[in-house]
Amino acid sequence: MNQLRPISLLICALGGEGGGVLTEWLVDIARHAGYAAQSTSIPGVAQRTGATTYYIEVFPVPIAALNGKRPVFSLNPVPGALDAIVSSELLETTRQISNGMSTPQRTMVITSSSRTLTTQERTQLADGRADSDDLRKIVSAFSREHRVFDMAAMAKEAGTVVSAVMLGAVASSGVFPFAREDYEAVVKAGGKSAEASLRGFARAFDVCQAAPAPALDNDDAAAEAAASPVNPVIASRFPAPVQAMASLGHARAREYQDQRYADLYLQRLQAVLDAERIADASATQNFSTTREMARWLALWMAFDDIVRVADLKSRASRWSRVKGEVKAGADDLLRVYDHFKPGIPEFAALAPPALAASLIRWDRQRVAKGKSPWALPLKIGTHSVAGMLALRTLASLKWLRVRGNRFATEQAMIDKWLAAVTAGTARDWRLGHEIALCGRLIKGYGATNERGKENLLHVIDHLAQLPSAADAATAIAAAREAALADDAGTALDAALVRHGAPARPVKEQPIRFMRRPATQGKT
Amino acid sequence: MEVSFSKEIESLALGAGDTFHGEGILAITKALLQSGVAYVGGYQGAPISHLLDVMVQAKPYMDELGVHVEACANEASAAAMLGASIHYPLRGAVTWKSIVGTNVASDALSNLSSPGVTGGALIVVGEDYGEGASVIQERTQAYALKSTMCLLDPRPDLPVMVNMVEHGFRLSEASNMPCILELRIRACHVRGSFETKDNVRPAISTRALMENPATFDYMRLAHPPVTFRHEKLKSEQRIPAARKYIADNHLNELMPGKHDDLGVIVQGGLYNSLQRSMQQLGLADAFGESDIPLLVLNVTYPLVPEQIADFCAGKRAVIVVEEGQPEYIEQEIATLLRRRDIQTKLHGKDVLQAAGELSVEIMSQGLSLFASSYLPGPATETAKAWLAGNRERREAVARMLEKPLPIRPPGFCIGCPERPVFSALKLTQAEIGPVHIAGDIGCHAFATFEPFSMGHSILGYGMSLASRAGVSPMMQRRTLAVMGDGGFWHNGLLTGVQSALFNNDDAVLLIFKNGYTSATGTQDIISTPGDSQKDDEHDKTRSLTHTNITIEKTLQGLGVKWLRTVHTYNVEKVRETLKAAFTSDFNGLKVIVAEGECQLERQRRIKPWLASLLKKGKRVVRVKYGVDEDVCNGDHACIRLSGCPTLTIKDNPDPLKVDPVAVVIDGCVGCGLCGENAHAATLCPSFYRAEVIQNPKWHERLVAGLRGAVVRALQPA
Repeated sequence: MNQLRPISLLICALGGEGGGVLTEWLVDIARHAGYAAQSTSIPGVAQRTGATTYYIEVFPVPIAALNGKRPVFSLNPVPGALDAIVSSELLETTRQISNGMSTPQRTMVITSSSRTLTTQERTQLADGRADSDDLRKIVSAFSREHRVFDMAAMAKEAGTVVSAVMLGAVASSGVFPFAREDYEAVVKAGGKSAEASLRGFARAFDVCQAAPAPALDNDDAAAEAAASPVNPVIASRFPAPVQAMASLGHARAREYQDQRYADLYLQRLQAVLDAERIADASATQNFSTTREMARWLALWMAFDDIVRVADLKSRASRWSRVKGEVKAGADDLLRVYDHFKPGIPEFAALAPPALAASLIRWDRQRVAKGKSPWALPLKIGTHSVAGMLALRTLASLKWLRVRGNRFATEQAMIDKWLAAVTAGTARDWRLGHEIALCGRLIKGYGATNERGKENLLHVIDHLAQLPSAADAATAIAAAREAALADDAGTALDAALVRHGAPARPVKEQPIRFMRRPATQGKT
Repeated sequence: MEVSFSKEIESLALGAGDTFHGEGILAITKALLQSGVAYVGGYQGAPISHLLDVMVQAKPYMDELGVHVEACANEASAAAMLGASIHYPLRGAVTWKSIVGTNVASDALSNLSSPGVTGGALIVVGEDYGEGASVIQERTQAYALKSTMCLLDPRPDLPVMVNMVEHGFRLSEASNMPCILELRIRACHVRGSFETKDNVRPAISTRALMENPATFDYMRLAHPPVTFRHEKLKSEQRIPAARKYIADNHLNELMPGKHDDLGVIVQGGLYNSLQRSMQQLGLADAFGESDIPLLVLNVTYPLVPEQIADFCAGKRAVIVVEEGQPEYIEQEIATLLRRRDIQTKLHGKDVLQAAGELSVEIMSQGLSLFASSYLPGPATETAKAWLAGNRERREAVARMLEKPLPIRPPGFCIGCPERPVFSALKLTQAEIGPVHIAGDIGCHAFATFEPFSMGHSILGYGMSLASRAGVSPMMQRRTLAVMGDGGFWHNGLLTGVQSALFNNDDAVLLIFKNGYTSATGTQDIISTPGDSQKDDEHDKTRSLTHTNITIEKTLQGLGVKWLRTVHTYNVEKVRETLKAAFTSDFNGLKVIVAEGECQLERQRRIKPWLASLLKKGKRVVRVKYGVDEDVCNGDHACIRLSGCPTLTIKDNPDPLKVDPVAVVIDGCVGCGLCGENAHAATLCPSFYRAEVIQNPKWHERLVAGLRGAVVRALQPA
């Protein structure tokens, strides 16, 4: 029996990424180099972003040496019998590996480290992204050899498409018996985009020649937090593990309102620290409740309102960030329009409690009558004088904020949560810690923000009071996870009930069911 | 369509002594011309769209050859076109995606097969079965059996495929049976080569017209009483004639092997998978030299009984490698062996998987059982270890993953005009409660995936309105039917609209008027914006679907009283219109035409136009949306309302915050949905719309300079 077998390569790409072009190149290159080859694919049709694969086989002996014999190629990639996989997306690489395609004995895996997030990952309320480190571990565990680099970034730098980069990586891997010149000759024949393609090809070729896979990325955000300067006041009052976060929080509170507000922040945080010092006297937990509280307290205290948004949107730094994001050239003009839709709650937030109450009552009556809540859809040209003036005027209303209805409400809720954290900590360190982490539920604007606060208060009212502190801590952790599972709160209600608490009260919602008229029929 | 097939068209004109390089489906297209085809029709659909697209674009060359090409309204009209071959010695070919297309065409196919054909009739179907298929798990084989049509299933090697096209026409003429040639997805897209021949100009053609119609002949009608005679002809004359042609011309291939006491009978289309599977089992080499004799059925209906009997006789066992269920071929062979009292053991679906595609691995699982029984040895054991290794690795990866990997189905394109309608529908349902949504075939079926998850049923192309006819009388609330313009013209106008009007149904129909049958590759339809509109439009970035109002006029002409046209990107307006339809006092059919041109087509038009403007130094405004990372709250409600691929998430740059923020990445085409949703759904205020003006006019520069100075003075750092 003849032991020769075709060399097999599986290409994974997303629809619209040029996987078809890459395959066509490879078949042409094989022909150029004098080898028999066959490719096939399961492409999407016109639709973008779905996962697609292409498959190519090349016979390792030149056609001239085959004495007229023709190899029979497979149309299917065969799991466990692949020589190489090249993929433009890390999750798709892992998907093929999880399908059993790659083996540590035979398969070379060349993959981009870049991710194109799936819809499922993007729509989660918190962070639903698959961990790239986990994916890379699978790549290295189930490949004979692997090359991992950011193909998307490389294609961008070279001003070309990812298929050219993938081709360079394939060429460099030596999986096929073709010379670099064979590859380049075919790409060169590609017309006007050939130069950019060759640039991408060459970069990938060089990187793959050089590369063992680079080390896994560090957690940038954590590094940044650790590196930020520590406020001396905080250094004197808080233990080292808390200092960086507390400094950031303190700065945020001051920037949001004023020094007094920042002082209030520290005072509140101090209460947590005091409680934690008692609950965990030997600091075995490294003050992590206080540290997390430093984060969530600052974010809640700097709750987003129109004053804050107007301020953020009208800064010079923001203008230059947008300019970079939209890649406006030096000679280009830029117009930026901001989408706002403030409703009654946003205005009532700045009004004194009595006025706020009547405004909100008016709006509720509107809704009860079947109208939509009152709102003012605005498209403000931030590049214009009038737009900028409007935003700066709003941003200057910090003095009004502290006199407004919402400020008072938020402070009362913050104090309630804070009390729950300190009381919980006094019962059991873990209970306090879990309640502190519930600060994650508070974010956003309007209904999102309301929902988060209601969920948090419900959790405090019903779960924190469970007779066993350990049970309470477990229940709160579960409820927190569940609250971030869906925006209707279905999972949260289920988790609440599971832990012996009532589901959240059913909210009055103005659904206008339309009914088909009862009488009908042919006339 | 804006895609150009100039390269493909060139390869259609290759002649004797040339070599064709390219995809399988294009090789088939070329083979039709080499066979002297006189007329070609069909309906687009993966994986055979290419055949028709290329032919339609190659019209000047087809005219030169005298070949008529027709982009048919649906598969039924394509099948009916083959009626030309009943009386006249015209070779005709039509194409569509099977099984769906064959279902649509089946009425005409039955009535074509009954009288039979004089000129060769070939139906090229994309057998959309198994992995990557977008349709139901049925096989074309059943249709060949029920209507008595030959079924060619060539092994996926370009020279064989081309050869079988040429034989297909002759087989059809020899037997008077229409022939189906089926190609699986991977065979359509296989890249290979073959030596071409000159194209043959048909004797009767658009350039050499017939003078007179055929004389009246009742025998050529599918009408009783001659239909009973046709039935006899099928079994007494046509099938025997076909068998004779198949045997005489060696259409099925016999490949010897040293284990003469065993045999494999395989569908031609599965030949390559079988070969690789045998290699894995150590029973074949890389050149297709098999240890076990093979009978490769390039024609899977009708079978040639003598050929099967000769192959099986004297063997210990034979295995039939056939895909899907029921195992029609295996059953026929079993009957045949039984009748002839041939005692060879017959295997097939007893060891092979009944459901789904026979990939190399799946096939090997079955073949390894066959080999264990009849050829036990170390090679079989190696193959079994390989199969077990695959299983173990899959389990090992699953253990390493915390949860299953998220799926990545295809979705709406960036800037797709259909996405905003589903955003609006989501918002509408939040207000008036959930509605029953009858879905349809087309891009809009992507709404069944996240983040929309909408659509209760999909009954067929253009069938959404018809499929709610039993639901809406039983439900207090009104139902919604969603249909594309492709589906509307394919079928929906008659089965849906006409029926609902006739029955005075209280129904709501939303038609996506994007101007093309986009899901199959943006083919033109009767409501596609005209070329003159495209040429005359001074702003080529605009949607042009409003320039063609054939749909609206048709609906009015049919008697639709409640008709609204909305531009899809206006989410608020779409929501209001949907609400109006659901709550209106009008109890008849309410139709919403949601218009917005297919973004793929628009971008194909826009990109070269903008590039040419920039090259000439002219003013160009580019729009992109963005999210302010410090304003974004990390809740991702905007993504749950849109799902646009360019609206994604990134690490939160704020060291205090942990949840990722939304970000609009490169590729955004500035369709405006982000801004519309932000307003319609009262999302967070983090979205901005940026307009970048390249090559601005001098006065714009002046104004911007002055304005910029003031704005900068107002801005804090």
